[in-house]
Amino acid sequence: MTKKLKYDLVAYALFAAVIFLAVPAYLNFEGYELNTFARYLSLGIVSLALALSWGTAGILNLGQAATFGMGSYAMAMHLKLKSSQGLPDFMSWNNVEELPWFWVPFHSLSFTLLAGLLIPASIGGIIAIFMFRARISGVFVAVITLAFLVAFQLLVIEQQGYTGGQNGLTGLAPLTLLGWTVDIYSLSFYYLIAACLFVAIMIGIYLVHSKFGLILRAIREDADRTRFFGYNVASYETAAFCISAALAGWSGMLYTLVLEFASPTYMSVSFSLAIVIWCAVGGRESIIAAAIGAIVVNLLEVRLSDVFVEGWNLILGVTFVLIVMFMPRGLHGVVAGANDWIARRKDSRVSNAKHSNLKSRPEIKGGQ
Amino acid sequence: MDLLEVTDLRVDFGGLRAVDGLNLNVSQGEILCLLGPNGAGKSTTLDLICGKTQLTSGSIRFDGHEISNIPEFKRVRYGIGRKFQVPSVFKELTVDENLQVARSKHSGLLQTLSKFRHRHSPEIERILELVGLETRRADMAGNLSHGETQWLEIAMLIAQDSKLILMDEPTAGMTIQETDKTARIFESLRKTHALIVVEHDMSFVRQVADRITVMAQGKKLAEGTVTEIENNEAVKSAYLGH
Repeated sequence: MTKKLKYDLVAYALFAAVIFLAVPAYLNFEGYELNTFARYLSLGIVSLALALSWGTAGILNLGQAATFGMGSYAMAMHLKLKSSQGLPDFMSWNNVEELPWFWVPFHSLSFTLLAGLLIPASIGGIIAIFMFRARISGVFVAVITLAFLVAFQLLVIEQQGYTGGQNGLTGLAPLTLLGWTVDIYSLSFYYLIAACLFVAIMIGIYLVHSKFGLILRAIREDADRTRFFGYNVASYETAAFCISAALAGWSGMLYTLVLEFASPTYMSVSFSLAIVIWCAVGGRESIIAAAIGAIVVNLLEVRLSDVFVEGWNLILGVTFVLIVMFMPRGLHGVVAGANDWIARRKDSRVSNAKHSNLKSRPEIKGGQ
Repeated sequence: MDLLEVTDLRVDFGGLRAVDGLNLNVSQGEILCLLGPNGAGKSTTLDLICGKTQLTSGSIRFDGHEISNIPEFKRVRYGIGRKFQVPSVFKELTVDENLQVARSKHSGLLQTLSKFRHRHSPEIERILELVGLETRRADMAGNLSHGETQWLEIAMLIAQDSKLILMDEPTAGMTIQETDKTARIFESLRKTHALIVVEHDMSFVRQVADRITVMAQGKKLAEGTVTEIENNEAVKSAYLGH
């Protein structure tokens, strides 16, 4: 435990050095590239959110994109209201006469920021309570969350007058945060997103290393046994699900900021599955690895599509298949495996040395 | 007043009445052994007490609370611990982590959320020594041998510190020496815990039991001390079938 925490903190420091120092330097502080990288970082949060529920608690949530979408729409609604005089343009095209009641509070930034976290958490919480009270687990959780995702996306697309339908919410105003108007191509914006990612990772690391995280791992392995130690398994699972949903919402908010629009494709099945892939590539057992997984895969996607305009999807697909087949624990598994191997070698060398010591000096008894 | 009072306990599985009008009392610091031929309803009785199975009728009172209709984890919080027939430790957690899960005095969500990085408590240290696993604390429980897994499970029950521990065949698959060691551990548990033990190994039962209840076909057949039971005609006939 302590050892694992040490590894995590070292990895955290290294990762922070790369993101805060190396990346901006390497990209020459150039606007467009920095913005692209900020996009990867924002996706890192949703990937680590999944690692928290899937990797730690064993809850495979295939509807992660729905909660991501809620956050991203919350932010987009605020920015849309800011950019429009009176009624947002798409509403008048759809013969909506008056601003719907649920749009009104999004005039306020603080409400928006809270809503982007709390709406996904509470909607996720409602689903979670029903699922986990009924002791649903494993693949059935995946099916239910996937069904919810599809239904939710359909709802958003159907309600064109309130949500912008298939087009999503476009033409957004830049965010004004404490008097600072955000320029998404600036270095400070990049640092804002990076800071968010590292706060999220910190939260994740805390949760995983707390006793709460330990109980989640116990539940992943044997929910019944955990119950007979007096833990209310359903409430633990619900809490993990809600926290994961809130982090996904946070990620969605940042994603809207980076891309300056919100689209129903953020809630598509393929996007949701992509999150699972990022998480699996990085390693679902580690919060940091999952975030790195999201960054690596998205980086690869962009680079590959630059080089192989035609076949990049195929190459990426084959890479995923290979990773799942040969590295079931992802990149993290490789690193952890190497670490264990080194530790074991060191151990055996030490015990060999002790052994020969004892042999050469038989008069010494007991351990030194 | 007895710690556990089971009155007129009944459970039906479809048409089968697995436990039929059972009365059972256990007082503080007592070890009660449940005996009986296969299918007599011993394990089911334990399941009913700990909440794994819902009763059809009857009452279970524990430590002054009626517990027959509350969920498992709340019964555990009142102080009922359970060891299952199949050894069930958390294989992907270390020995140390297994014991931390088992130490569940503060099992609420907020309590575990606010607890970061446990420190070695002298209590866990003592338990590890008692069962002889102190050198294996950082190992994955999945890497333990069969015997060590049993010790770990018993250690977890001790760490859980329940007032009443329900044990289903604690010595199954153990060697004679291991069974002896288990009996000694039970002796040390006796002062502070009450135990209900389902066991087939008569020599072990002789060593630990304060009282024996013999069940057959869901009913109580006989009750008494070891000698009384061994000389009981009804028991003999139930086991030997005349």
